[in-house]
Amino acid sequence: MKLRDLARRRADRPTKLVLASRLRFETLLSALSAGLIHVTARDTDVAIERALEQVVTFLGVDRGGLDEHAEGRPRLRLSWARPGLEEPPQVTAADQFPWVSGRLRGGEVVRFSRLAELPEAAAIDRASFERVGTCSKVLIPLRTGGPILGVLSFGSLRAGYAWPDDLVERLRLLSKAFAGVLDRRRMELSLAERLRFEKLLSSLAAAFSHLSAADFDPSVQRGLRQVVDFLGVDRGSLIEFTRDGTATRSWAVEEWVEAGEFPWMTARLQRGEVINVSQLEELPDEAAVDRQSYLTHRVKPQVAVPLLVSGIVVGGLIFSTVGAERAKSDELIQQLHLLGEVFANALARKQGELEAVRLRQDLTHIGRVSALGELTASLAHELSQPLTAILSNAQAAQRLVAGDVVDLEKVREILSDIVADDKRAAAVISGLRGLLKKGEPEFVPLDLNEIVGAVAWLMRSDTIMRNVSMSLELSPDLPGARGDRVQLQQVVLNLVLNGLEAMREPHAGARTLVIRTGRDGAAALRVTVEDSGPGIALKDLGHIFEPLYTTKSEGLGMGLAIVRTIVNAHGGAVGAENNLRGGASFRFTLPVAEKER
Amino acid sequence: MTAVAPVVLVVDDDPSVRKSLTRLLASADYTVEAFASAQEFLAREPHPGPCCLVLDVRMPGLTGIQLQELLAATGRRMSIVFVTGHADVPTSVKAMKAGAVDLLTKPVDVEDLIAAIHRAVTRDEHDRASEARLAEVRRRVGMLTAREVEVFARVVTGMLNKQIGAVLGIGEKTVKVHRARVMEKMRAGSVAELVRLADEAGVTVPKS
Repeated sequence: MKLRDLARRRADRPTKLVLASRLRFETLLSALSAGLIHVTARDTDVAIERALEQVVTFLGVDRGGLDEHAEGRPRLRLSWARPGLEEPPQVTAADQFPWVSGRLRGGEVVRFSRLAELPEAAAIDRASFERVGTCSKVLIPLRTGGPILGVLSFGSLRAGYAWPDDLVERLRLLSKAFAGVLDRRRMELSLAERLRFEKLLSSLAAAFSHLSAADFDPSVQRGLRQVVDFLGVDRGSLIEFTRDGTATRSWAVEEWVEAGEFPWMTARLQRGEVINVSQLEELPDEAAVDRQSYLTHRVKPQVAVPLLVSGIVVGGLIFSTVGAERAKSDELIQQLHLLGEVFANALARKQGELEAVRLRQDLTHIGRVSALGELTASLAHELSQPLTAILSNAQAAQRLVAGDVVDLEKVREILSDIVADDKRAAAVISGLRGLLKKGEPEFVPLDLNEIVGAVAWLMRSDTIMRNVSMSLELSPDLPGARGDRVQLQQVVLNLVLNGLEAMREPHAGARTLVIRTGRDGAAALRVTVEDSGPGIALKDLGHIFEPLYTTKSEGLGMGLAIVRTIVNAHGGAVGAENNLRGGASFRFTLPVAEKER
Repeated sequence: MTAVAPVVLVVDDDPSVRKSLTRLLASADYTVEAFASAQEFLAREPHPGPCCLVLDVRMPGLTGIQLQELLAATGRRMSIVFVTGHADVPTSVKAMKAGAVDLLTKPVDVEDLIAAIHRAVTRDEHDRASEARLAEVRRRVGMLTAREVEVFARVVTGMLNKQIGAVLGIGEKTVKVHRARVMEKMRAGSVAELVRLADEAGVTVPKS
């Protein structure tokens, strides 16, 4: 009995040892698994490496590694090796481990306790293992159906380490815990990524939503930069196509991509196709020009999506990398489509805006010309005065010179008067030319008093003709403003004409027109034109600045609408009200030039 | 032609126009007086000798046309040459109808201006002469007695002394005496001359 007991004990001993060690291993694994559950995405790497270390130590082997794969390619590698040792070889590198990686891809566990156990077919693998000093190893594929997600491996530099089934089974469980953590992290990351993308999308959409034609270029540039940074690519370009289908303009980050350099891609974009070239070799033969451009620009993969506005291709969004050849996932294309929509809307808005700006400029020009029509009499007078003086002086001089004794002093005096009057006539003409000039508004620092003064001077004889007494009440310490001189003159001119028109009908009382300048709070300037006409009927008060709204039989209804358009474009506001003592006041405000605040 | 040199009165609000016109007209040997506004002109005593007004149409305060109206309304007859930078038809018609000598468009050529001023001065002289003559005739009429005026008015209608005496209820001889006094006081050599004077002075038989 004793002996039998002893014998059993002897037989049991290794079993007990195994059992005890198995229990300890079990405990370790469950502790590791439990610990991994609460690991955050940020700490995943460290936690996995800690776990690998513990397992390697426990098993008494030398190296442990976890390779994460994404879309069939290695993405991340975590490993732990005993101090002084190199990290384990990446067994999925198909050129060094063709046999092993084939097995793993097939979902098989690969294990050997000495290199000799590897079959003939694994000669290359064997040589590779030999090179890194691995003598025995276990490799467990991580998979949850579909392609493998990664490989968990442990290796020893000494031969003879057996990898029993139950150990492999336990390691497989551990690998599942690892896979879970990686999965969770991937999800967290992709969620964060998606969130980041949403943020990018909405910030771009917001930036483009009130985009004026003037700051379109810098905004698009900024937008492209944001997208390039987000995607982690090197270059981004936006190409705009005109209605007849030719590429017109492009904006780019880092390097311009001209549509002409990529005819094959451009043509496909214009057909509304997505271009996704991850390697130069993928380009078809007909894309020879594109290929050359890829080489010149050192572009590796390139992805391009068409920009559509109500079914029409208005442009294209192109991103490319210079360094690595990176595959472009379906998700990326999806994101690019969404980004494309934002850029497409910006392009559409810009085209609409430009159309509107052109229209507005035409309109302002027409308004100016028609206002000048009303001013013809006045201008003829302004010009005829200096011309009269010039002619009279010149003819007086002719008579003086014709005499026997020429009074040179008198002639000299006459000549200097002629010069002065000629300059005066020239000033009238250049003022006129300024008013007629049609073009881009030019924002410059200016003095509102001076603008009001210039218009008042221009209108002087007109007011005389209309029997109106015009007076200026200009604030002496008016801060500067910023704006387009011609347009603001137009504003004052239209308001003055409007006031004069209002006083056209015969009515009791003196006809007076007062132009006032002053401050409107701390940050704004105000110009008021006050007339003594019949005032504004209550029903008109709310509409008086609307285009084509007129209370006059001959009016176009554009004068005040132009005033509003221009003032609004200058960041100011317009207003009208009836005066307490009769007549109406029209005013507009402009922001004080920033440096003067 | 006249002892007093003709004076050209220039009214224009533009100083350089004023100066140049003054200079030009002085070179044509006119005496020029320039005014910056209608008001300034009105403040001046009416010029006693032959003169004319060179008037800008468009001026602040009173316009040229308004000045013309005002002068007419206050019985100050003047020969006016208008100058204007922009001659619109209604203004021109109004000015000419109101008796302007001419309306010239700025810039004004010296020949045109001087010709117009010459015409204006001539007309002023003529007007002045007929005014003086009328004043003289009126002075003479003023010397007549009431009865003499009654006889005067009827003589020039061609009535005989006898008829006049019957109408006025006086004797034929008395009529004859009055008639001789009228001829003398009016310095008329003949009845025909007396008729002309009556015509000028507007002496007529009051409608009974």
